[in-house]
Amino acid sequence: MKISNNWLQQYLKIDLSIDKISILLTDIGLEVEGVHHHENIRGGLNGIKIGQVLTKSKHPDADKLNVTTVDIGEKECLQIVCGAPNIDIGQKVPVATIGTLLYSGEESFKIKKSKIRGVLSFGMICSEKELGLGKSHEGIMILDQNAKVGISGAEFFEIESDTIFDIGLTPNRSDAMSHIGVARDLKAVLNYQGANLNICIPSVADFNIDNNLSDINVEILDETLCPRYSGISINDLKVEESPKWLRNRLLSIGVNPINNIVDITNYVLHETGQPLHAFDKEKILGNNIQIKTAIKGDLFITLDDIERKLDANDLMICNSKAPMCIAGVFGGKDSGVSSSTKNIFLESAYFNPVSIRKSSKRHNLNTDASFRYERGSDPNITVYALKRAALLIKEVCGGNISSNIIDLYPKKIEGCCVKLNYSSVDKLVGEVICRDVIKNIIINLEIIITDETKDYLDLIIPSYRVDVNREVDVIEEILRIYGFNNIKIPLKLNSSIITNLNIDSHRYKNLISELLSSNGYYEIMNNSLTKESYNNLIKEFNSNNDINIINPLSNDLSVLRRSAVFSGLETIKYNINRNNTNLKLYEFGKTYFKNDDLNIENEFLSIFISGNQFLENWNSDNAIADFYFLKEKVDHILNRLALNKFKSNNINSSIFQNGLEYKIKKQTIVSFGNVNSSILNHFNIKSSVLYAEFNWDLILELISSKNIKYKPVTKFPVVRRDLALVVNKEIQFSQFEKIAKSLNNNLLQKINLFDVYEGDKLGDNKKSYAISFILSDSSKTLNDKTIESVMSKLLNLFKQELGAVIRS
Amino acid sequence: MLKKISTILNEIKVFDPKSKQELEVFRIKYLSKSGELNKLFTEFKKIPNEEKKIAGQALNNLKEQLNLITNNAYNFGSDKKDLADDFTKPISLNNLGSRHPLSIVKNEIVEIFNKIGFSISEGPEIEDDWHNFSALNLPEEHPARDMQDTFFIQTNPDTLLRTHTSPVQIRHMEQNQPPIRTISPGRVYRNEAISSRAHCIFHQVEGLYIDKSVSFADLKQTLLYFAKEIFGEKTKIRLRPSYFPFTEPSAEVDVSCNICSSKGCNVCKYTGYLEILGCGMVDPNVLDNCGIDSKKYTGFAFGMGIERIAMLKYQVDDLRLFYENDIRFLKQFSNSI
Repeated sequence: MKISNNWLQQYLKIDLSIDKISILLTDIGLEVEGVHHHENIRGGLNGIKIGQVLTKSKHPDADKLNVTTVDIGEKECLQIVCGAPNIDIGQKVPVATIGTLLYSGEESFKIKKSKIRGVLSFGMICSEKELGLGKSHEGIMILDQNAKVGISGAEFFEIESDTIFDIGLTPNRSDAMSHIGVARDLKAVLNYQGANLNICIPSVADFNIDNNLSDINVEILDETLCPRYSGISINDLKVEESPKWLRNRLLSIGVNPINNIVDITNYVLHETGQPLHAFDKEKILGNNIQIKTAIKGDLFITLDDIERKLDANDLMICNSKAPMCIAGVFGGKDSGVSSSTKNIFLESAYFNPVSIRKSSKRHNLNTDASFRYERGSDPNITVYALKRAALLIKEVCGGNISSNIIDLYPKKIEGCCVKLNYSSVDKLVGEVICRDVIKNIIINLEIIITDETKDYLDLIIPSYRVDVNREVDVIEEILRIYGFNNIKIPLKLNSSIITNLNIDSHRYKNLISELLSSNGYYEIMNNSLTKESYNNLIKEFNSNNDINIINPLSNDLSVLRRSAVFSGLETIKYNINRNNTNLKLYEFGKTYFKNDDLNIENEFLSIFISGNQFLENWNSDNAIADFYFLKEKVDHILNRLALNKFKSNNINSSIFQNGLEYKIKKQTIVSFGNVNSSILNHFNIKSSVLYAEFNWDLILELISSKNIKYKPVTKFPVVRRDLALVVNKEIQFSQFEKIAKSLNNNLLQKINLFDVYEGDKLGDNKKSYAISFILSDSSKTLNDKTIESVMSKLLNLFKQELGAVIRS
Repeated sequence: MLKKISTILNEIKVFDPKSKQELEVFRIKYLSKSGELNKLFTEFKKIPNEEKKIAGQALNNLKEQLNLITNNAYNFGSDKKDLADDFTKPISLNNLGSRHPLSIVKNEIVEIFNKIGFSISEGPEIEDDWHNFSALNLPEEHPARDMQDTFFIQTNPDTLLRTHTSPVQIRHMEQNQPPIRTISPGRVYRNEAISSRAHCIFHQVEGLYIDKSVSFADLKQTLLYFAKEIFGEKTKIRLRPSYFPFTEPSAEVDVSCNICSSKGCNVCKYTGYLEILGCGMVDPNVLDNCGIDSKKYTGFAFGMGIERIAMLKYQVDDLRLFYENDIRFLKQFSNSI
């Protein structure tokens, strides 16, 4: 909302700097988001001086140019070369001195000392157009002979300079949506701080009815939606362009002048906050106004020439035949004031805020009127605003007030009554504010004290403060004026003890994040909103399970992600395009899907690897990261969380070309492997990408903060035996592990694969696994016999079940 | 054999290589496959068993000495320049990754409030109208709903992406009676065009404290503590009255600009202060909506954008950087402590 300082000062004379006023406004909750300078002419005619042409002679080298000397009231006269045909000695003219900026639309042009065809020129004599004062560019502007030489252009042309406050008005402060409203609040705080200011509200004492020729009849058919309707007729006026002062006022706050009638309604709106609407009286068929809800489906053309379909809940201002205006929102095309209008009917009403908001939303119409009505206007200001506008119209547009004020107000809306207990103030604020201070603030806010004891005050709140109707609201008002920053900060902490801080899941996430980040991985964060088409890449995804956004920003952000893989691949592509090809990334986030009517959010941890394992360096062989590089990290994470008892299977998912999944209690805890090349193709990624997707919800469920219990370290030697076994290629190491485990021998501590060989010597379908076995006994030294017995059992089982042969 | 060993020991005692070549000659002479040491080991196999114990010890000792000398010459040869390896050869920091700056800042905020006894609560991102709006004193058709552009998943009844983390507080209040002292970090959504200053997703941390006699002064104290913890001991705060439907009174909080020490710079737009959070005393309607007796209890609430704090802390001037995941951006947070 824009507030003009000059306009504001009409109602409240404040002798404070702009900065001080800004701070004050912000401190009372009318946040000044910006301050800017306003002139009704671009550049404010800075640098323009009024001068008189003293001499004129032909330019020696140019037919159309004259060399002049111009007196601008300074010691020395200026020599100026001028090409205007109408220049003559003795004329008073506007002179742009050196350094002046002249504007032409958005462009500006700086006047410099120059040489024109060999003659020096120290300025420019200007045309109307060059100054921005008019359109004429026939020649220079010739001023009245009485013009005083040497005065500034701004002074001569009465350029008004103003400061505009941009106030970020919060939706509760409908009372301050006008210049008088802002002045009223400033007065309250300044008087509380010791000033003695009064608001100068324009008087309407001169209001008189000229005749009673008009006989408009008004009827409210829906008193809930229209609790008050006031109006007046003005005849025989003349619609034309507004006078300069009125146009300037409106322009300064960014309102475009239209004609004198519309401008006056806008002026009074921004002065008092009360929206007004002027009807061309000839369009009020039957001389009858009815305020009623619309017939569903009826068509209505608004001022902006758009045909709108009405809703049964839209409140309309109608004549005998048809609607003329969507009440409080927007006027109709046919009933408004035009240049041929002679008689008008002026409306000043109070409408139900919720109803206005609904209509305004329904028709997507946000007007100055609806903005105010939907936030709640003052029901008790309608008649004042009407009188104020009528007087201005008589002054500006002529005409006669041709009816009594019609004022339908079946049930008066009184200011709200509130009991304020001092103890409540103390409790909420946390310090005791002196009772006199509280009372002083209340009085300055024009809240009426009807009764008081040492414990409480009975109050009546002014009807323009629609946001104040409870005790707590009054406390807020007191604090606002008292100053939030004047509340003292206690030295001791007031903190209740909470026994379950619930920080575990936060801690686990950090634990694994730190693990990954300390292993060269970068944490990424991607948008949860993504492209719907991505989900088609994975055949397991049924689009019925997608969660779509009804009102997306774009097609690229129209659905919630169902997998972490897509945004991860986008990240990889983004970095590869910027020549960062060795990537180790991870993300914690959520995936989303719909199951019948249930929206489900799952937490994941994803890992992405592409390119080399390590950075290029003389010291490392710089191998490309392969499946086992990822597997090491997957196992690392699970082991770190003590989740090392899982079943692993080859994966079968269209996300992966190949890979593994680990299951605990039949639920997949992690899937990992190489991303399917068809998906990579879709993202135009040429290198392979390794991807792991952890079910973080399941991890959180399975983690138990099991206490670690120390086991004695064996005092007896540990024995290692190796076997090199040749098996068919399809045999998996997990089968060896399973067999070893099935032996259920507590001497066998660990089995490990330490070498793999495949080659011609073994035959096509063969591989050799070199496996180590660690054996120990916690109570004695193992002897050869016991060891050999375990080993031979193992070997036999490997032979029988896996067809293993000892490599020769 | 023992004689040979002691001769060699005497020879090598005075060995003081001047160059790599000399060292290499030494290595070949004694330690190569056909070197003296291997010759001795071959010989060792042939000597009578009763001599083996002593000879074996001597031989092992010689082997150790030889290894020691060569290793030392390689490793500690730095005072003999031509012998030393080039220790300035770079290694790469393969294991230095990074947290995301938003995680770093979130953790910092969580820790600060954990220290003064705030628990953590979390909730769903897909919300209903009640928890995101109505329970927060934002009934349907309330003009303040315009302050938050909402993504809808379904209408009548409305399902939406939460526009703030306040619904987590509502859920927490519905499930718990005071004392309540909790912070809720999480991801939120606004239907706003993506630019350097706005994004359709961002992260918030909101805090809530409800008990008997919790006051506005307590709120100010908590916020000042927070501001000093995160921006430094000298930080000052400033409150401006504002409006949120769920708090009364409501305030916006500015902290003194730590970049220019409040002297004015382009980050604080020459105001000396930076807007960082919104707060207020929980509106009695909100307490009543959640089944908490507003006559008995009062409380304060506050909320801030993690992106906003991160932008100020790291002087990041474009919000989009947080979601582009450019490695060159992320790397800059590797050494955050």
